[in-house]
Amino acid sequence: MTTLLVVLLLAIGVYCVAVLEAWIASGRFRLMAPACSAIALLGRESIVPRKPDLLFFEMGPIVLLVAALLAAAVIPLSPDLIITDLATGALFLNAALAYVLVALIMAGWGPNGAYAMIGGWRFLGQLIAYAMLVVMPITAVAMRAESLATTDIVISQSGLWNIFYQPLGFVLFFIAAMGLAFLPPFDLPTAKGELAGGVEAEYSGVRLAVFRLGRMVLVVTLAAATVTFYLGGWQGPSLPPWLWSAIKILLVTAAMLLIGRYVPRIREAHLLAWCWKFGIPLALLNIFIVGILLVVIP
Amino acid sequence: MSVELIWALITGAALFGVGIYGALSQTNLVMIMMGVELILAGALINLVAFWRYLHPDVAAGQMFVLIVMTVMALEMAVGFGVAIARFRSKGSVEMEEAAELRE
Amino acid sequence: MITAQAIFIGFFGVAAVWFGVVVFRTFSMVRSAIALLFSQTALGAMFLTMQAEFLGVLQIMMMATEMSIMAFFMVMFMMDPGGMGKMEMTHQKRLSWIVGLASFVGAVAIAVFIDWGPVATTVAETAEQTEALGLELLGRSMLIFEMAGVTILTAMIAATSVAIPPMPSPEKTHKDKV
Repeated sequence: MTTLLVVLLLAIGVYCVAVLEAWIASGRFRLMAPACSAIALLGRESIVPRKPDLLFFEMGPIVLLVAALLAAAVIPLSPDLIITDLATGALFLNAALAYVLVALIMAGWGPNGAYAMIGGWRFLGQLIAYAMLVVMPITAVAMRAESLATTDIVISQSGLWNIFYQPLGFVLFFIAAMGLAFLPPFDLPTAKGELAGGVEAEYSGVRLAVFRLGRMVLVVTLAAATVTFYLGGWQGPSLPPWLWSAIKILLVTAAMLLIGRYVPRIREAHLLAWCWKFGIPLALLNIFIVGILLVVIP
Repeated sequence: MSVELIWALITGAALFGVGIYGALSQTNLVMIMMGVELILAGALINLVAFWRYLHPDVAAGQMFVLIVMTVMALEMAVGFGVAIARFRSKGSVEMEEAAELRE
Repeated sequence: MITAQAIFIGFFGVAAVWFGVVVFRTFSMVRSAIALLFSQTALGAMFLTMQAEFLGVLQIMMMATEMSIMAFFMVMFMMDPGGMGKMEMTHQKRLSWIVGLASFVGAVAIAVFIDWGPVATTVAETAEQTEALGLELLGRSMLIFEMAGVTILTAMIAATSVAIPPMPSPEKTHKDKV
């Protein structure tokens, strides 16, 4: 029952985000835009390229969708609106998100196309660097909560949200989440201008619809994770908890999409150099600072 | 005796056997490393099974698993370092062509 | 007695072994790496079934990135990464078969014929397990843990220094210029 409700809420959230993305990209607010494009995609022929690795070609979008859904399973929308309250929830989120990488490598290798393959391998470098920036801030968050369960992490922020307690961690996690969901400044695997769509290039019709859906679910999940770990989750005055979660998640998603609108795409080399030379030392510094803070002001 | 323990141990044995077969029969350095990964995977499942069914109250059993995971990662890192150096100097990582290392 | 746990362990065990065999049966190198990933993931699922939740999730997380890197290096170093040419990449097949089979049979014999004594039926809660593991790592086994950390650092430096291209010596470059 809870599972159905969460999936339904997730679907509504994904639709809202799709509307938002279309609004930001085209400048026109149309409620029906994602539905129209989905129907158009479903009606089109789904072309299979010559000599594909058919197994990977078919599996890629599905694995992306499943990984994003599994990551969403440990996100609490309200105290009891969570699919599985695992005791190792924060780690499980990382485990599920790591399969986004596998999905993109499969989708990049499967179609037997040069652009797609370059996109897939690009994402390998990008995710190995940015997965570090997801894991290390979460470590600091778990240190404060003294638990890996996501509900405990939310409860630990009842006094002061983590965004104020560890702002450095929030910034790093936010950037890493955008990199992980390959949103515009980091959209190297699907770069429109230089790779002609990259991983998406050889997909069309139903398969492209599944791929886009998986990506949207991933964006919503990562926004929800940001809310859970840094913005106090469901907590807030007067409104019901699930509504607070929904408002915060939509705001974070809108922020992620808007940043992509105004920042130019980053070069692969710069992206990786920044992450390994500054991002990861900063994340370690963040863990160190939080460790000291925990001793000084518990 | 418990069925679960035996099945887990048999899985470990099978992974070990497949890993040994792979590590001995493949000619490419990267494929040999895959075989070694499978051997270590067999060791992992045995360790977890022993921890779960024989000594569930000893945390050192879980720690041992973490150490083996570390070894897996290290084996890969060093192996790929060697592979890159070999490929750069000779243009291949085939074992059959590496006979001169014996001297 | 066949419990639900036994059924799941058997299922994931068969999956792990089957994917392990696929690693050496397929000609496509990326498929081979992904098969190894699924083998390790099935192993992680087995850990979860055996109520070692932290280890299971950790295994599933670590192997995803590790095997993706593996796939990348396979494509870099193999002559036929797509497996279109069905290249033969094995040697001493008979010896490998015999040794592999012998080690499998030996390990199974040990597993079946040794009396393992009484078997624990219950384990601690996941949260308690994780806490005990943390205390173990930072208490009694601190030295081993630190050793692992130092070894990782050494391996990182060693692997990087082996992998970077050798610097041309200054005299040589000078000569080339002249």
